[in-house]
Amino acid sequence: MRFFISLTTLIFCQLLSSQNINYASILIDKSLKEDANAVVRHNEISIHINSIDELVVAKRRVVTVLNKQGDDYVNAREWYDDSEKITAIHAVIYDQLGNEINKIKQNDFKDVSAVSGGTMYSDSRVLYLEYTPVSYPYTVEFVVETKTKNTGFITPWQFLDGYYVSTEKSKYTISYASPDLKPIIKEKNLENSTIVKTNTENSISYEASNIKAIKYEELAPSFIEISPQIHPRMVNFNYEGFRGTINNWQEVGSWMYTNHIADKDELPLPTINLIKALTASASNDLEKAKIIYKYVQENTRYISVQVGVGGIQPISAIEVDRVKYGDCKGLTNYTKALLNEVGVTSYYAHVESGDTKVSFETDFPDLWAGDHVILAIPYENKLYWVDCTSQVHPFGFIGDFTDGRQVLLIKPEGGELATTPAYLNGDNYQKTEGKYSISDDNTVHGQVTILTKGIQYDNHFRIKDKTPDDIVKYYKSIWSYVNNLTIESYTFENDTDTIVFRENVSITADNYATKSGERLLFSPNFFNKNVFVPKRYRNRQFPLEIQRGYLDEDEISIELPLDYTLEAIPNAVDILSDFGTYTLSFKASEDKKSILYTRKLFIKEGKYPKESYESYRNFRKEVAQNDSSKIVLIKK
Amino acid sequence: MKNLLFTLFLLFFLFSVTAQNYDFGKVSEEELEEKFHPTDSSAAAAVLYRSVNLKYEYSQSTGFKLVTDVRERIKIYKKEGFNYATVSELLYLSDAGNEKESFRGLKAYTYNLQDGKIDESKLKSNETFTEEVSKYYEREKFTLPNVKEGSVIEFMYTIYSPFFYNIDEIVLQYDIPIKKQEISVEIPEYFAFNPNVKGYLNVFPKESKKSGKIMLSSKTRSGGSFNDAPKTTVNRSTIDYIINISEFAMQDVPALKEEPYVDNINNYRSAVNYELQYINFPEEPMKTYATTWEKVAKNIYDSPDFGSQIDNTRYFKDDLVQILANASTDVEKMNSIFYYVQKTMNWNNYYSKYTDQGVKKAFKEKTGNVADINLMLVAMLKEAGLKAFPVLVSTKNNGIPIFPTREGFNYVIASAEINNEIILLDATNKYAEPNVIPNRALNWFGRLIKEDGSSVSILLGAAAQSGEVNMIQATLSNNGAVKGAMRTIYNKYNAYNFRNSNNEISEDSYIEKLENKYNGMEISNYTLDHKNDLGEAITEKFEFYVENQADVIGDKIYFSPSLFKTEKLNPFKLDERNYPVDFGYAWEERLMVNVTIPDGYKIESMPEPIAINLPNNQGSFKYNLSKSDKEIKIMVNIDISTSMIQVQEYSALKEFYKLLVEKETEKVVLSKI
Repeated sequence: MRFFISLTTLIFCQLLSSQNINYASILIDKSLKEDANAVVRHNEISIHINSIDELVVAKRRVVTVLNKQGDDYVNAREWYDDSEKITAIHAVIYDQLGNEINKIKQNDFKDVSAVSGGTMYSDSRVLYLEYTPVSYPYTVEFVVETKTKNTGFITPWQFLDGYYVSTEKSKYTISYASPDLKPIIKEKNLENSTIVKTNTENSISYEASNIKAIKYEELAPSFIEISPQIHPRMVNFNYEGFRGTINNWQEVGSWMYTNHIADKDELPLPTINLIKALTASASNDLEKAKIIYKYVQENTRYISVQVGVGGIQPISAIEVDRVKYGDCKGLTNYTKALLNEVGVTSYYAHVESGDTKVSFETDFPDLWAGDHVILAIPYENKLYWVDCTSQVHPFGFIGDFTDGRQVLLIKPEGGELATTPAYLNGDNYQKTEGKYSISDDNTVHGQVTILTKGIQYDNHFRIKDKTPDDIVKYYKSIWSYVNNLTIESYTFENDTDTIVFRENVSITADNYATKSGERLLFSPNFFNKNVFVPKRYRNRQFPLEIQRGYLDEDEISIELPLDYTLEAIPNAVDILSDFGTYTLSFKASEDKKSILYTRKLFIKEGKYPKESYESYRNFRKEVAQNDSSKIVLIKK
Repeated sequence: MKNLLFTLFLLFFLFSVTAQNYDFGKVSEEELEEKFHPTDSSAAAAVLYRSVNLKYEYSQSTGFKLVTDVRERIKIYKKEGFNYATVSELLYLSDAGNEKESFRGLKAYTYNLQDGKIDESKLKSNETFTEEVSKYYEREKFTLPNVKEGSVIEFMYTIYSPFFYNIDEIVLQYDIPIKKQEISVEIPEYFAFNPNVKGYLNVFPKESKKSGKIMLSSKTRSGGSFNDAPKTTVNRSTIDYIINISEFAMQDVPALKEEPYVDNINNYRSAVNYELQYINFPEEPMKTYATTWEKVAKNIYDSPDFGSQIDNTRYFKDDLVQILANASTDVEKMNSIFYYVQKTMNWNNYYSKYTDQGVKKAFKEKTGNVADINLMLVAMLKEAGLKAFPVLVSTKNNGIPIFPTREGFNYVIASAEINNEIILLDATNKYAEPNVIPNRALNWFGRLIKEDGSSVSILLGAAAQSGEVNMIQATLSNNGAVKGAMRTIYNKYNAYNFRNSNNEISEDSYIEKLENKYNGMEISNYTLDHKNDLGEAITEKFEFYVENQADVIGDKIYFSPSLFKTEKLNPFKLDERNYPVDFGYAWEERLMVNVTIPDGYKIESMPEPIAINLPNNQGSFKYNLSKSDKEIKIMVNIDISTSMIQVQEYSALKEFYKLLVEKETEKVVLSKI
């Protein structure tokens, strides 16, 4: 054991002092500069697990910044808190010839609180290097060493930092004092890169070299889905004084439940009486759950305070009940406690949030998977999901923040993976129905009803809580292609049972049609013009990914000005593609005084090879073009 | 008599019904029942009552201390207003850390109406957080418990500051309405502060006086100054002094709302700044700070971090000889020095009118704040024999400098006077040019200071009209696609903006950006001239192919002759606005297009020429076109000759753009022969 420690000290000393490398930027291989704003020259981390409650990390990171955009990749910063201490830190700046021009000691690093937006308080802090480059390229060498009692979380590693940055050398070593401390490592996307893995009796290491920079492309899989990375975890660990053993998801759940959830659901008697009274007339458990979710939405708000174990443990229900606020953990646990009092079972669930769907991996039970907590309520063999941090979403609707992904239910008997409901294709529906007239003086008067469901509901229903100014601004922005628009009136109907939102809007617009001598030209698609065309890439690298898909149906009747007669109507359109369909039709009334305009746009979710990108782009170009097509009127 | 009594009674009665009780804790049911703000129904929350009382306390052991009592009562109408239930105060710590502002006496309650009764929830003492923001600041933070729609919250606290010479800005306007506020500032006669109100609300403080008393115990031997603590005690004495009070009593302060084309809404937020003019303790010489623009300027100039930085020339003497090696005229000298400083020095993103590390060290390390760089520039210009002066500026996020204050200026640029013309210089941006200073410094006027401390006001941003000239030669085909060549010239600020946004990215990415800006245009044979030749216009040339530039309907083709450069949208959508439209600088945009029409078509009709003007010659739009058999020529000229359009002229500007858009979107009609 003693031998072990001195050995690692030796490794660390080497890591921290091996500076005799030539950092002249001219030596960088040309292929690493392509599409790169910075080159990670040497990125090395050595993690040593001394015992179940001592983890030492040494990092050495050398980055050559090629231009101003590359400044962000220097990343000479380290977070710390009461459990994790920084034991050494320094940085050296080199010019493009590799000459040392500046040395930054611990006291010259900025030391600030790391409270991020949306958090009220956190005990996390950060030391960072503030440096003004004097010329490009320049190189920063950053060395830091930290020590923590927590072994429950070990830094994962990305061999590529992000878009527009390349990696010359990246090395990850994890060593352990005894075999029972050997971590399990999950490798992701290592197949396509040249990463060499080495195992010894007491260490595992990965080394990557010469990974080229990649360019960002829209409608592509997210960076995390394509970049080579590894995620380590300990089977036996300590986290803020809580020991644990994890071999499967069941054990993740049971560690969480026993240590952090089980005794947190006590509530004061007045509250128990109140919610019992509220739910007394409810006919079944689902009704009760709806009443309680509504009670939570109306009586609490989101405030996040993260101190110590509070990063994983909810504040108790009794505390939330008193202050009526909490973060996702606190509010979810509070709702669970309230449900429990009226005899309704519910499960606290860890989830990775965000509109990119990230699922928990079946074969890699990880305590740190996920960044958010939601609640699942089982009823008649179905799970109903709610996000207790939302004060506006209907019961059972979680929107695109946590939809369609594998999450962890934390039950008293342990953990269990489950999948949240997905909103796909036609689920995300919008129906636009209305009419408008164009008068002889070229003014449009119109009424429209927009009905939305699924993710489209999610995108629309929040408008009801906005101020009148913001509502007007919103319509002026979605119909920004209409000049001189006035929003005359609007009403909203939000059906939270069927989860359907209806907007009824009246508008006027001066000079909508364009004049050309005796003629008036106007685009019949007044209320739902979709001119989105994906960016053109001269050389597309990544597959095309459409995450959710949607269906829009429009039916608009147009009354024509009396002094004009119809000269030309666009042809009907019917496009069938791999990515969806588009149809457009026009029907003039018998007296030619009005036109019925119908439109349907269906976009299908899916992953398509990169070769399909251009044909998707062509499809959207056709849609955009047809959505702008015009009717021509001529003066009688 | 009876009538009078009755009237009095009635008055009293009305008064008692409508009077609000603003004592702490006396929240009424009416306040809790109110569903929306009576005059601003869109308000998510409103301040019902706010008081800020600032006064000085004297203690013999620590001297003067600034004491600020803060109290607020806030009504929460909607969920969007919940963030007003979280309060934070930034507290300053002195450099050495031995003196700091302290936050004390917090009391905070939330009131809710529960079954017709007022229910109060108290903030517990362990529910406040102290965040160590940095070496210089702490942030005290708390959030109230039990906040719902309809709640009224109330809190009070006191801030003690040992930095008695510095009174923080007192904001008079929030993003939510304030029903009533009472602000008072009580300052002993020893300190002379000048209250400067900024913003768009017309408010003035009410001034009055009262007397104060300081009890002193002192020993004759001590001889310590008034503000120092004597060490032993022999005598007791009192000092009577006058306290100057200024008060703001305001009712129904409207919410400050964001508007587009306002660079920084805080420029227009009403607030009062107390700027120290002098300190005059008994039996001590008076220390003056600022009273007039001249004094402000002189005061700043006299600071060791300002004037003496300009006098220091030794460190660059050798370099200057080389810089001026090929320069003979004054303009050449100015250019050589300016471009040298701009190229060599690197701005560390800090604003300041005072140097940070000093020009000498900045020169050696090649980095510095705004003053390090621009004062060095002034020094070099002077050393080269030019008439050069620093110009104090208030940046856009610092507000408009209306009253003479030192804090009113937070930035400094350089200027050179050549042939009776003042040229403005700012070397902190790599693409700035003489008379093209960064947008952040283009805020109304600056103050030019001479060596003797005298100063004059000069307008910023009026120096040079910027512009863009586009020339397009295009051939329209009968499917609505257009092929052709385009040439664009970017001048002054247009060149500055182009270089700032595009010079750091690769040409490929820029072309991709351009192609997507013009809806998937395909660009070839791209060339760019003078990209790095500061002071010269940039010329961009390319060939293009772009679809969908015309509507082909039946046997006719309709298109806007400005093609993809057509202004399709009026940027001014709001019906009215409260703040000026800030363009930053005067500008001109010219467009010339020649379109060759497809074979087999003739021109059936085309738009009429038009010329419109903004009031007071602030701008014009000229649209001219001509045709031959196969070609249409169009010339469009938009000219805005001022950097800022005032509120009174907003509707004229909106109408101007409406007509402009209408004209540009008008179609040429081609028909089949």
